Amino acid sequence: MLKYVGKRVAQSLIVFFVFLTATYFLLQAQPGDISDQFLSNPKLTQEVRDQYAERLGLTGTPLQQYIRYIKNFTTGNLGVSFSEYPRQVWDILKERVPRTVALFFFATLLSFLVGFKSGKVLAWRRGKRGENLITVVGVFFQTVFYPWFALIMIRTFSFNFKLFPGGKFLNVEKWIDKPDTFDANSVFGRMLATAAVLGLTLLVLEVVTRRMHNRVISQRIVWGGRILLVGIVVVWWMTVWSVMLPYALDIGDHLILPTITLALIGFGGTMLLTRASMLETLREDYILTARAKGLSSKTIRDKHAARNALLPVTTSLVISLAFLIGGGVITETVFSWPGMGQTLLSAALQEDVPLVIGSFTFIAVLALVAHIVVDVLYMYLDPRIRVGD
Amino acid sequence: MTFDQRAAIATPVLDVQHLTMHYTVKKGEVQAVDDVSFTLAQGEALGLVGESGCGKTSIAMTLIRLLADNAKIVDGKVILAGTDVARLTDEQMRKHRWSDISMVFQGAMNAWNPVYKVGDQIWEAMELHFPDMVETEGRERIAELFELVGLGPELIDRYPHEFSGGMRQRAIIAMALSCDPKIIIADEPTTALDVIVQDQILRELKHVQETLGMAIIYISHDVAVIAEVSDRIGVMYAGKLVELGATDEVFPHPKHPYTYLLLASTPSVKGPRRKLAPLEGEPPDLLKPPTGCRFHPRCPWATEICTSEEPPFNEISEGHSVACWHTEEVPELGRLEG
Amino acid sequence: MSAPDLLEGTVAASEEALWRIRLRLAWRGFRKGWSSFVANRIGLVGLTIITLYGLMALAHPILMHTVWDPKIYDPVVGYDAPVTTKVIVPDGEVVDIATQVDLFSARLINPMLKVGETLDVTEQPAAPSRTHLLGTDPLGRDVLSQLMYSTRAAFMLGIVAALVTVGIGTTVGSVSAFFGGIVDTLFMRLADLIILVPFLPILIVLSALFHFELLHLAILIGVLSGFGGTAIILKSQALSVSVKPFIDAARVAGGGRMHLIFRHIIPNVLPLSFLYMMFSVTDAISSEATLSFLGLLNINMSWGIMIYTANSQGYLLSSASYWWLLLPAGLSVTLLAGSFYLVGRAMDEIINPRLRRR
Repeated sequence: MLKYVGKRVAQSLIVFFVFLTATYFLLQAQPGDISDQFLSNPKLTQEVRDQYAERLGLTGTPLQQYIRYIKNFTTGNLGVSFSEYPRQVWDILKERVPRTVALFFFATLLSFLVGFKSGKVLAWRRGKRGENLITVVGVFFQTVFYPWFALIMIRTFSFNFKLFPGGKFLNVEKWIDKPDTFDANSVFGRMLATAAVLGLTLLVLEVVTRRMHNRVISQRIVWGGRILLVGIVVVWWMTVWSVMLPYALDIGDHLILPTITLALIGFGGTMLLTRASMLETLREDYILTARAKGLSSKTIRDKHAARNALLPVTTSLVISLAFLIGGGVITETVFSWPGMGQTLLSAALQEDVPLVIGSFTFIAVLALVAHIVVDVLYMYLDPRIRVGD
Repeated sequence: MTFDQRAAIATPVLDVQHLTMHYTVKKGEVQAVDDVSFTLAQGEALGLVGESGCGKTSIAMTLIRLLADNAKIVDGKVILAGTDVARLTDEQMRKHRWSDISMVFQGAMNAWNPVYKVGDQIWEAMELHFPDMVETEGRERIAELFELVGLGPELIDRYPHEFSGGMRQRAIIAMALSCDPKIIIADEPTTALDVIVQDQILRELKHVQETLGMAIIYISHDVAVIAEVSDRIGVMYAGKLVELGATDEVFPHPKHPYTYLLLASTPSVKGPRRKLAPLEGEPPDLLKPPTGCRFHPRCPWATEICTSEEPPFNEISEGHSVACWHTEEVPELGRLEG
Repeated sequence: MSAPDLLEGTVAASEEALWRIRLRLAWRGFRKGWSSFVANRIGLVGLTIITLYGLMALAHPILMHTVWDPKIYDPVVGYDAPVTTKVIVPDGEVVDIATQVDLFSARLINPMLKVGETLDVTEQPAAPSRTHLLGTDPLGRDVLSQLMYSTRAAFMLGIVAALVTVGIGTTVGSVSAFFGGIVDTLFMRLADLIILVPFLPILIVLSALFHFELLHLAILIGVLSGFGGTAIILKSQALSVSVKPFIDAARVAGGGRMHLIFRHIIPNVLPLSFLYMMFSVTDAISSEATLSFLGLLNINMSWGIMIYTANSQGYLLSSASYWWLLLPAGLSVTLLAGSFYLVGRAMDEIINPRLRRR
């Protein structure tokens, strides 16, 4: 298993290099020289222009330029942003990346879980009544014009029903009295850390108790563990980090609607595919065997059928990753959620080339990493493709 | 011990009385199983033989109550371990499945869920039916069963795709035995296997059956297979049981025209040379089965009464029953000219 | 008739109409496919919507030349702003924008005005009326005219992108399948790279570096799709065709490589290509609308531009409802893109060999 991960990482690094090379040629292919970009920017002094000319490798042979370019990228030197001069591109992105990752991760998780669960239950019920309606709903969410849909979501839930904020990262008014010892990024960082720790420990809890055979005891441990963990988190935030709590809640409040909106467009496809996959799986012989063994309906549906139906759905997740990242960009724009996607767009509109390339690189890296994660996950799920030796 | 002696001692472990099962399709009701009655004694091997679609698999599915939604038991009783399981709800039946009656399906090699280990899948059933059993105990038992069917214990933690076809089939048999059922139904246990493995599996089953003393119902369209492994034979045609008796009685002296023609159309490598008598025509449509005896359209000895009245299933000699108006017409096997 | 006469007659008859026989067979195949297609309601719905929009696209130039006065109805440079008399109400208390205006906005025009007085306001954007069935946009242009004009752009974009995708995808797929080896590896690695990186960000980056017009965008989308996912799928189809016995027969009969690819493999891949053409139209229309909405494109009118104009001037998220600015354009993108998708799915069930076994 570990060998496989290593192999994938190595492959991805190669892909990343190809990608960097491609973007390099893209820059060179621009009409005019890259120096035109900043020569026309009045904010830059001559000193910086010379520095930049050297850094971006406008001096030297094409090969030297290329090597310098690659070296810069791999050491994190992505240049200085034109539009937010003199901030370094790396610094800007460092701040924005967690926000995009959080949005993308939660939305993907939500859309996948809801889509899979609903597809599974629908296939099991096999009722003719809702069949056409479900298909229509699923297809609707797959084909709707996303920016339009996002705007409607904002209008409905933010303006008409006043349930959630209509965008942005936080509500500035609420932050006026914030003490100076921390800022928004550190609050958000702590929120993500909490989520990560909570998620991981819950996962570990699941895996450990699954191996146990005494049902009663393992159930007690699982639920006891869950309640305990949530309790610890709540107490922690109310004591150790209590000063940050209202601000964290504000950010969280702003995260809800964009996450749900992005999750909605992904969920339709997953649901339809899961349902189709389940129906296929239910025809298999091992389902008949499971029934013959006297297992309960729920066990058959979840442990046997769904587990196998999961395989093609996971494969399709790989393909829809790119789609969800693109959707994330639109979500961030419409909701003014200050992540990588929104940065990419505003940089593009202002022709801030270093920032554009930088954001794009981060997005590509996100795609690569997500890809590896899902591949490894698939390998875990399907023993048949594991390489034994 | 011969069949007769065994039958004299034990009460039947399965008593099927006038079992009738139909399933509903758009055009009407298919009479898949009609008025079938037989008993199965402890430790006995019964073979059900017949063409495709004659109802033998339907009977099997009815006994273990794994019918599709559009099927229903119209009449009859299935008395298993003292309970009429035909009348139970699905939830109630779950208790009996696997622990009283288990099944080895057709093409059972695909009966394994590819994502779980073989041992875990066997343990799953045991855990359900023996709630007090500990995992170590279970593992020991599985190892014993594996040994019985000729598999090594290290295979318990392997995945199905790591087994060959024949090995998977043996493991299926082990799984079917895991909860100590009184009856195993083996539906075409050797179809989809090559001839050599076929032989091995049949020997295995016989060995297992004799060692553990459980009753087994073999289902096959292959007369040779049935003849080799069964103590008694039941011949099915178009949903009806037309002949039932000891193997060494029915085969040399078939009393139903269909049985005769079935046997006569099978060439024998070892037996006496005889002219083959092919079976003309096709099995009837069970939506609208023929009137009277269902075999009459293809029967060379059919007369007026065969078209209008169904022959009763009568015992014509000790343990040998037939449903035919003209059993005396049926010639002895092996005495054909040519 | 004698035997030789019969034979001659048969040979002559078969020679005569080979092309006619081919045509008849093609027609029959088409009719069969058509009846299965119609049986599937989804495809029919899609096709109906496409036809309706097609009619709209055709109707627009006719209307412009006959009934509509270009000065008012031109989608880009027309202008019409009806003047309405409105009552001034306190801020935040506007209930009906057709007859009321808030104090703040009124004071932008004349700082001396007070609540209760009336003001003649030029309506931009104007609500739907008899002369402007879908109202006007923030620049005073007729929305219905814009909608119909953009249909043309959408179709053109879709068709160009689809043709390019299919052209490239089919060729790459067939060549890849046929030659195998390093050619295959190269193309497939390229395709993997393309589908890995999200489509929209690529377009955003490229739009920032190069300034696109509609045609450029269409070709770009076509190229990216053609070398990407479509290439993989069509290659697998070409592969399954190339191992069929009739290919060997053609080769034995002396067919050269080019001949085999173009006369035998590609025609058998085409039905699947045609299917994916539908999906590529969907992608093209959605992508253009998204890019226009984000403000990245250099074109003068499309549905995406309509939403962009309305959003960037703050009309969509304001308290009053300017539904005619958002609903028709957004709905059109959804419907037209969606209908091609529906047609594609319906065709999928007919053409795709994987699904046909049902």
